[in-house]
Amino acid sequence: MENKSGISLYVHIPFCVSKCTYCSFCSFVPHDDEMAKYLQNLIKEIELVGKKIRKSVFSIYIGGGTPSVLPLGAISQIVEMIKKCFDVLPNVSITIEANPNSINLDKAQEYYACGIRRVSIGLQSASSAVLKTLNRAHNWADFENAIKIVRSVGFEDINADIMLGVPNQSMSDVVDTLEKVIALPITHVSAYGLILEEKTPLLDKVQSGEIALPSEDETVDMYDYVVDTLSKNGFFRYEISNFAKVGFESIHNNNYWARGEFIGVGLNAYSFLDGEHYQNTNNFHAYCKKLSENHLPKEQEEKENPITAQNETIMLALRTTRGLNISKFNKKFGVDFCKKFRNTIDKLIKNDLIVLEKGFLRIKNLYISNSIIVEFFE
Amino acid sequence: MRSRQDNIRNFCIVAHIDHGKSTLADRLLEATGTVAKRDLTEQLLDSMDLERERGITIKLTPTRMKYTFEGQEYILNLIDTPGHVDFTYEVSRSLAACEGAILIVDAGQGVEAQTLANVHLALDNNLEILPVINKIDLPSAEPEKVKQEIEDVIGIPAMHAPCISAKEGINILDVLEGIIREFPAPKGDETAPLKCLVFDSYYDNFKGAICLVRVFDGSVKKGDKIMFMQTGKQFEVTEVGYFVPKPQECSELLAGEVGYIAASIKKVSEAKVGDTITSAVVPAKEALPGYKQVQPVVFSGIFPVDGSKFGELKDALEKLKLNDSSLEYQAENSIALGFGFRCGFLGLLHMEIIQERLEREFNLDIITTAPSVNYHIYKTNGDMIEVSNPSNLPEPSLIARMEEPYVIMHIFTPPEYMGSIMELCTERRGENLDVDYLDEKRVRLDYSIPLNEIIYDFFDSLKSRTRGYASLDYELSEYKESKLVKLDILLKGEVCDALSLIVHQDKAYERGKIMAEKLKEVIPRQMFEVPIQAAVGGKIIARETVKAFRKDVLAKCYGGDITRKRKLLEKQKEGKKKMRSIGSVEVPSDAFVSILKID
Repeated sequence: MENKSGISLYVHIPFCVSKCTYCSFCSFVPHDDEMAKYLQNLIKEIELVGKKIRKSVFSIYIGGGTPSVLPLGAISQIVEMIKKCFDVLPNVSITIEANPNSINLDKAQEYYACGIRRVSIGLQSASSAVLKTLNRAHNWADFENAIKIVRSVGFEDINADIMLGVPNQSMSDVVDTLEKVIALPITHVSAYGLILEEKTPLLDKVQSGEIALPSEDETVDMYDYVVDTLSKNGFFRYEISNFAKVGFESIHNNNYWARGEFIGVGLNAYSFLDGEHYQNTNNFHAYCKKLSENHLPKEQEEKENPITAQNETIMLALRTTRGLNISKFNKKFGVDFCKKFRNTIDKLIKNDLIVLEKGFLRIKNLYISNSIIVEFFE
Repeated sequence: MRSRQDNIRNFCIVAHIDHGKSTLADRLLEATGTVAKRDLTEQLLDSMDLERERGITIKLTPTRMKYTFEGQEYILNLIDTPGHVDFTYEVSRSLAACEGAILIVDAGQGVEAQTLANVHLALDNNLEILPVINKIDLPSAEPEKVKQEIEDVIGIPAMHAPCISAKEGINILDVLEGIIREFPAPKGDETAPLKCLVFDSYYDNFKGAICLVRVFDGSVKKGDKIMFMQTGKQFEVTEVGYFVPKPQECSELLAGEVGYIAASIKKVSEAKVGDTITSAVVPAKEALPGYKQVQPVVFSGIFPVDGSKFGELKDALEKLKLNDSSLEYQAENSIALGFGFRCGFLGLLHMEIIQERLEREFNLDIITTAPSVNYHIYKTNGDMIEVSNPSNLPEPSLIARMEEPYVIMHIFTPPEYMGSIMELCTERRGENLDVDYLDEKRVRLDYSIPLNEIIYDFFDSLKSRTRGYASLDYELSEYKESKLVKLDILLKGEVCDALSLIVHQDKAYERGKIMAEKLKEVIPRQMFEVPIQAAVGGKIIARETVKAFRKDVLAKCYGGDITRKRKLLEKQKEGKKKMRSIGSVEVPSDAFVSILKID
């Protein structure tokens, strides 16, 4: 999936109708004219960045936050600006994230009309109790309706996000959610384990003992069930937490795992370009001010070094079920991977944790990927 | 006419731990004006942090004090001594440099195990003994009773012993008077060829090895050519001096005096403790009686947690050895732990001190394997070999019989703890030799007990069973035949040599079971199941299992997550450095220590 000369582009929309209890992303419920002000500056940033970049864009991902909360017309304005300022390939893949209750027929039509062909909808769970724990502003019926809408305007590539290991979540909730999801015309599922992030209300509640996470065993059982059910229904697992029907893998995310270059625009957006990592400010006012003065709101730049590059390449490739392309790795870093990690490879193969075949090294037990990946870190 | 030496007194202070030795030393420094009160940090002579923290004295420090008594100015040389049983050897070194010993006895606690041991050492060295009853300010003090006890138990006159409180500074001058009146003056021949006893040495980065000496005959000054009589090595003296208690250079050291000699000696091994220094120009005919080289009795492996730090560990041990000639070490290679050192110690405390110094002063993370003693293995072919490392034990079929070292142990305790102590000693294969009721409050128990039974946690067990009221001392006695076996621990089917132990066969099952249980507690869950087995001669006697963990990741990883995630994993990798891989199993470095605690 990696496009050697190309880059992918991420656009961040930091607005939501309500803040989820687990969310530590840069997102907030907007006041008054903040959306308009943001849009104006985002357009400016796209213009400034686009002028500097000569590489072709093969994928655009509009994420958040919740991009679908922007008023009608805003998304197509953004997409048009990108097409104007960047060298966007004709077969570009464009994805937008949406929430079940903020998308409507008009917006869906707008998205499709401006060239967006993939839509990712945050479901998390079909259970109202679980959705309440997460402070999600929708229910199952909203989701079902949203799918109906996007299908009706022509979208064929639809992702549903679901979440596992949530307080108050039981196996029967997961079974119910999965049954409902696979009955719908969905082509891609991202199934994440809940991560308790710092400074989130959910972490506070768990730490205070108000609510409890399911046990490790329960969570793994839920995940096992998800992997099993999806595979029986034609979804294959191509990354730790991503499942797709044939031909519907996420081009955008595959680029991340291939450690391809990407540019992020918008508040707090992250970029990796020409061996450099950098991120935009997460301060809304600073972001707007910088751009109004025709400066890029970049901060936290960090040059990659051969070790971090190697570690990242390994970490990302081993998340995928295809695994790490050894000869490509050796060529890129001038090392002999198998020789260098001979003992580790032997040990892990002996314990049935990895497979080495057809020039690829892949993890067999993806649940413990972190521990396995670390074995290959410098 | 009074000679110069008539006004010199060389003495040391001996006591059971905590009876107030260092405090009295401080008071003497203060009373003689050697150190002004405002400069006196508590227990000045204990210079290592470790010494002050643990309330023990490890190294010797000789201090010169001046004191005027009845119109005469006296030079009083105090040679401080370590109090703990492990350092008996160092005590005897300092005794050899003295004519007298102050014996401190706690007015509340009376004669204790180490009181007795130290008095015997002093008597063996023909020292005059001045008993001093300390802590008379405490409500529990019974000085008259303690005096009687000294006479009864030790057999030395004590009725005129000064009764003092070192802490409160009460009657300190009585002690000074006692020193001058009771202790004989040195009687060296100033005109005879030089004879100095090296009773300690330490390494100074600028001056080289510094010898702490007692001059018996002759004199020594800067520029003199000297010779070590044992090694035959010759040096030119660059500096002589004494301690007040900081080093103070002087023009000359004369017969009867105590001080230091520096002579650009590169290695401490060239300035052997116990050797006699004489003049290279006019050598003495014969050396002073030295003392026998100490033999380590407790052995254990020390390995760097991070295998690449072997060189640093080696340097650190070399530096420690410079100031601690009793430390022995040689390189060893463990299958489980890689390269490290087999070290010999005077006892358990000595071992702990070395470990702590390696960690604190050299900032090293180390793994220490279970302490062992030196076994005598008689092979079927008639050879006898000494084995202190369980890995070196020959195949059982090659062993005709084995012997292990025994000690004679003396325990002093209030009678109410007798039952509990006897139970403990019996559990540890001890044989009761004698029970002696010293008075209605104290009993002395004598045991013959295998050394290997007291090197793990005997002190801790004794302390907890007697709420700290019992005291203990021991001396090596003999080797006795014993049914010993090698207990192996297998992790995921592989023997971990660093965890092997030599134990009595009757103890193997229990010990194996406890070790497996302990290991289960300390080994974290890993990517795969880890069976822990204890085995004797290939037969599994205990088994536990550490289950595999099931997940460590289900989160997403896009865009900005990548760097963050990579850094997190790099941190995880860093954390793993605190672990040692044994086969494919990761074992935290403190596991090796924690499994030693059996009670």
